[in-house]
Amino acid sequence: MTDFALWSENLRKVYMSKGAPPTEALAGVSIEVRRGERVALLGRNGAGKTTFLKIASTLLRPTSGRIQVFGFDVDQTPEKARPYIAVVPQEGKPFFHLTPREQVYTYLRARGLGRETAKTRTEEALQKMGLTEFANRLSITLSGGQRQRAMVATVIATEAPLLFLDEPTIGMDPFARRSVWESMRALTRKGSTILLTTHYLDEAEALSDRLYIIERGQVLVSGTADDLKRSVGGTVKVLLPEGAARVESFRTFGSCVTDGEALTIIVEPERLGELMDLAVRSKLMATVGPVTLEEAFLRVVGRSIDVD
Amino acid sequence: MSTSEIVPSSRAFRGLGAFLWTEILVQAHEGLAMATSMLVQGVLLIFVWILNPGLLGVAFVGSIIFSTFAMGQRVLNEAAYIRIDHKANDLYLAGPMSPEAYFLGMSTGILVVYIAPVIALGALATAVVHFTLAQGLLLLALASIVWVFSASVGYVFSTFFRDNRAIWAYSSLFFNVFGVLPPVFYPFDLFPTALHPVALLMPPSGAAALAQMSLGITHLTSGELALAVGGLLVETTAVFLFAIYWARRTVRGD
Repeated sequence: MTDFALWSENLRKVYMSKGAPPTEALAGVSIEVRRGERVALLGRNGAGKTTFLKIASTLLRPTSGRIQVFGFDVDQTPEKARPYIAVVPQEGKPFFHLTPREQVYTYLRARGLGRETAKTRTEEALQKMGLTEFANRLSITLSGGQRQRAMVATVIATEAPLLFLDEPTIGMDPFARRSVWESMRALTRKGSTILLTTHYLDEAEALSDRLYIIERGQVLVSGTADDLKRSVGGTVKVLLPEGAARVESFRTFGSCVTDGEALTIIVEPERLGELMDLAVRSKLMATVGPVTLEEAFLRVVGRSIDVD
Repeated sequence: MSTSEIVPSSRAFRGLGAFLWTEILVQAHEGLAMATSMLVQGVLLIFVWILNPGLLGVAFVGSIIFSTFAMGQRVLNEAAYIRIDHKANDLYLAGPMSPEAYFLGMSTGILVVYIAPVIALGALATAVVHFTLAQGLLLLALASIVWVFSASVGYVFSTFFRDNRAIWAYSSLFFNVFGVLPPVFYPFDLFPTALHPVALLMPPSGAAALAQMSLGITHLTSGELALAVGGLLVETTAVFLFAIYWARRTVRGD
């Protein structure tokens, strides 16, 4: 069997609607996800992430291109791919008139798991998501974050070989998010593969082995979070709160962005000393920190928008 | 679960029992809705009893048949609601569960929970109208066929909407077109003769006409009888098979 849990080549999706011009949501996306990997799809709203996830999870037909799950053609034989996958849909909600315990258990049973396995996995998933205390309360009485935890618990309990998670931690508090991260790491240690979308870039960085940035239906960048940070010209960020007026003096060090009186420079670590000397000579205060994935993302996607 | 543990399967009805149980739990937790579901029919019976006790048989037949029709119509609202608001299609159908199990599990789950008041109605009808066993069994069969028709239409229709509010108008339309205008709650003979074929071809009124005939309340010609029986069986079978096909077809969007 193939090494890839998910593989797509030149995948295109054009939405046709009456009275409106066709919308090209995917314009040739090629993605490879190896077994056991955690991969994040990043992109702005409407970039095509959810469309890709819907096609990959057999819920939407592609217009053209090829896509496989564990070697099975998702377009031609979706029924063969389905036993291998589980999905946390974007904005999905548990049944309001089920308790989280009923929700997880009945879902596992509907997927064909035996009673005992379903029971054990249900309790494990509820515990991992911190839902034990609320396990017997109807979901309609739970908070938005707790409902989302119930959705994630439902899907991680499947331990499916390939999990698609569309913004799985939306609305969760930082503790709950970290519980989800730990559960995902545990799943991939057991052999599952995870493809997730998120707008929380700290989450993508903490969780994913690799990431793809999608913009206007195309893969803009792929690689590790560090690759992405390096692609913007450095891994260190220097903030000069009153440096905007001296921007020309610092341009040679790397990418410069002014914001009011402040100047931010992205620089390679090797040139940091030289830059700090100049800042001191210029009598400018400076704050040094690592470039975050969010900053790299903004620059990469922003650059693409500027080019267009 | 490792990939080697999974045997790809396209088994029809996979997950049916579990999803049926899911829907029973969901519906059973909405006890108030269940308790009020028979209110209209109950009030109608009281009205008929006060105004014209001689029409109680018609009212009981109409109540039982329309109740099963209404149970089928709950599928329209439930299927649309859990697809649009909860994304349940994405959760359940992007997995090993079969689409026909999703449709049938949902429909049957609603039936199981809402059937209790209909059984009570049947018991009351037996006590008041004194159905024979054959008449009772015929009514049961007719009501079941109407439920299959209604649930199938409801499921298929539910897939056309992106907004739950848009469905309210159609629910009301179905309610009136199938239950109020044609002779479901009143004697078939009172319906304009020229429109008899129309009423006989509409499953709820066709079923009600057959049940009324069996109770001696109305008279059908042999042609009308054939039209009612044939229409009921052919339409219901066709709509049910189409719903199964449509459930499979609509797992994936275009």
